[in-house]
Amino acid sequence: MSNATLESGAAMAEGTARRGVEQLSMQQALNRALDEVLAANPKALVFGEDCGRLGGVFRITDGLQAKHGTGRVFDTPLAESGILGMSVGLAMAGFHPIPEVQFDGFAYPAVNQIVCQIARMNYRSRGTMPMPITLRVPSFGGIRAPEHHGESLEALFAHVPGLKVVSPSNPHEAYHLLKYAATRPDPVIFMEPKSRYWQKGEVDFDSPDPAGSPTGGSPTGAKVMRAGRHLTLVAWGAMVARCLQVAELAAEDGIDIEVLDLRWLKPIDEATLAASVRKTRRAVVVHEAPLTSGLGAEVAQLITQACFDTLKAPVERITGFDVPYPSGDLEDEYIPNIDRILFGIQRVLEYKRG
Amino acid sequence: MDTSPSPLNGNDAGHLSGPHAEPLTAEQLRELYSLMVAVRHLDTSAIAWQRQGLIPGYAPELGQEAAQVGSGYAVDTTRDFVFPTYREMGVARAMGVDMVAYMSTHKATWHGGLYNPIESRLAPIQAVVGGSVLHAVGWAHGQTLDQADGVAMTYFGDGASSQGDIHEAMNFAAVMKAPVVFFVQNNGWAISVPTERQVAGGSVAARAAGYGMPALRIDGNDVVAVAEATRRAFAHARAGNGPVLIEAMTYRRGPHSTSDDPGRYRSLNEERDDAGEDPLERFRKQLLADGIADDAFFAEALAAAKAEEDDIRAGIQALGSRPGTEMFDLVFQETTPALQAQAASWREESEHV
Amino acid sequence: MAEISFPLPDLGEGLIEATVLEWLVSPGDQVERNQPLVEVETTKSAVELPSPQAGKVVRIHGGPGDKINVGEPLIVFEVPDNTAGIVGTVPKEEAPKRRVRLSAVLDED
Ligand SMILES: Cc1ncc(C[n+]2csc(CCOP(=O)(O)OP(=O)(O)O)c2C)c(N)n1
Ligand SMILES: [Mg+2]
Repeated sequence: MSNATLESGAAMAEGTARRGVEQLSMQQALNRALDEVLAANPKALVFGEDCGRLGGVFRITDGLQAKHGTGRVFDTPLAESGILGMSVGLAMAGFHPIPEVQFDGFAYPAVNQIVCQIARMNYRSRGTMPMPITLRVPSFGGIRAPEHHGESLEALFAHVPGLKVVSPSNPHEAYHLLKYAATRPDPVIFMEPKSRYWQKGEVDFDSPDPAGSPTGGSPTGAKVMRAGRHLTLVAWGAMVARCLQVAELAAEDGIDIEVLDLRWLKPIDEATLAASVRKTRRAVVVHEAPLTSGLGAEVAQLITQACFDTLKAPVERITGFDVPYPSGDLEDEYIPNIDRILFGIQRVLEYKRG
Repeated sequence: MDTSPSPLNGNDAGHLSGPHAEPLTAEQLRELYSLMVAVRHLDTSAIAWQRQGLIPGYAPELGQEAAQVGSGYAVDTTRDFVFPTYREMGVARAMGVDMVAYMSTHKATWHGGLYNPIESRLAPIQAVVGGSVLHAVGWAHGQTLDQADGVAMTYFGDGASSQGDIHEAMNFAAVMKAPVVFFVQNNGWAISVPTERQVAGGSVAARAAGYGMPALRIDGNDVVAVAEATRRAFAHARAGNGPVLIEAMTYRRGPHSTSDDPGRYRSLNEERDDAGEDPLERFRKQLLADGIADDAFFAEALAAAKAEEDDIRAGIQALGSRPGTEMFDLVFQETTPALQAQAASWREESEHV
Repeated sequence: MAEISFPLPDLGEGLIEATVLEWLVSPGDQVERNQPLVEVETTKSAVELPSPQAGKVVRIHGGPGDKINVGEPLIVFEVPDNTAGIVGTVPKEEAPKRRVRLSAVLDED
């Protein structure tokens, strides 16, 4: 993405007054971001099932209806295809819809509108009808919920020309990435890691990345969450926190791991990915989604293409299995756990060419 | 709440044909009561199980016992087939489904439940709102093709009635004259959204007219009315007259689920005003007034319900996790090399982490 | 954990207070919404007040015979800060557990 010249949405909207740092949960950070987007853009609308009065089943839209009115934050009837189809018309009429589907698995009923309409209206209309739609999807597993409440749809959406896909890994990322995504002129699927809604973390409101990583303070691209020399763990969403734990454990064994939060799953920041693996020469991709045709395959190929000469081992993928996301009792057997990731790292470490 | 059978133009109850069933006997009425008590007791116990950490979550059906028991009771499990949502515990119980196997879905053991859908004539528990309504149409059309006489009954809510699939299902069924009973529990709420802001025009039953299908709008808190309406609908569909829609007007007295806080969207006063009389208490009074049952019978029914719940709780407590290999073994009838390889690596690296 | 306090509601026209007759719950009890909490007497009648909240009782105000004014605290519940969504549970933050150790001879070439 070539948005290097853009400052974060936050800095633009709030001017230059410094706002400092707060401890927030991801749920609170997302709520704050939506509140600010609604305040800054009179054409922004937030809607979906139970988003109004209840404030969303995860309370992400809590208080927004009371503050911004029932015209701008509202409950819809229970129909995902309806929600996304209506978003198309609203976008045509000059609004910026920020719809929610209540859970990942309920984006499926809306796939027709997302894929056949939202993703290609800009193209079909030769750029005259952009689709500034930010679809929020509570995503991924880990909360022992019923069926269809633990799915990882990133590969499905990333495969569709005309959609951008992003997933935050912590409250700080959530705040900045949502503010950024919700001010784009293109459709963005915003995948919120629901198992991390309640964990608190520091949100620095003033800059998406004050430390100055390769992303240069921009909410675009990938982000190095922990620097390391021996191997790069690539992840997104809820798996970033797990990979950071793994990196700590690996350090006990003298292995220095770099953790790269991909953040944008489409477009993928190839430059940052390549820079990291060129340095570490080893890579393991971790995701919750099933293995076959998962995004790990794409990441592995991009790494191989860019770093083939220097790679010490084939890129490993540690992922969910090619099975429907299981019920709570089997959840921990499905989601990549620490040991499976360590096994993958060990295979890469001991790989011998020839 | 207007729950009198609606005089819908051209498609009201009067237009239902098919043989009239005998009125319910005193024995059957007592059986209905016993079922309702069992369901009420299990339902309220399941909330307690969740509070005690025995199960991670539950979707109560408090207040819907008459609608669920009355309709489930009308099913002929030798030939009919039922498609539930996630809130049909009372239907399952009335149909005689193994309740440990049913409740296992709420213990997060297996999404669809552990009961055998083919033997119990109840499709797996369905988490997608409106997800299985079209399946009922297909199953019913299969009966027509096979010249069999089974009827499919599919459950859905006021909220689900907004989904496009529901409308496709009604139209398909009517076009194909499929033997389907669409059983709508209008319980006033879809999570936090009341029916007024969900169902334009206020009635799901009224939709049926547009599909040329008879509809009954009934008092869903009157178990006898529900059982009789459902039997009439089955008779109509079984006689080859096509689908019927029943809208049972009821009320979700409890939260949407054990982690819902209804105080965020409705007051206790609203609940009291809108819920009407408790269907169980109402039926008890009626049986007493009609001399069909006495206090001794009610006490016995409650004792049986408690004993049953004890057994189900013990069964749920004893229920271990399913073996992880089932994750891989049950994806296909014919497995794939990739799946076998993944199962092998799972066994090596993380079986029972 | 956060506490949420409920005052004595307005029980009818013009009534400004009620007398506690009997508490039906005690601190530590898990109660469900709509479950009877307390029996109170007003100048008009004796009524059972249903719980507006599901949760754990932390404190109750007033014993049998005590008068409570409408709007004054009646009962306090404990509610977790992180309530789950409409389904599922809030995952526990656990210290990472491992079985696998790494070993490698890293030639830093
Ligand atoms: C397709 C789909 N969208 C959203 C949900 C989340 N959800 C579960 S139940 C529910 C409300 C359903 O209301 P209704 O159909 O009236 O049934 P009730 O819960 O009242 O029994 C919603 C929105 C879902 N399970 N499936
Ligand atoms: Mg409903």
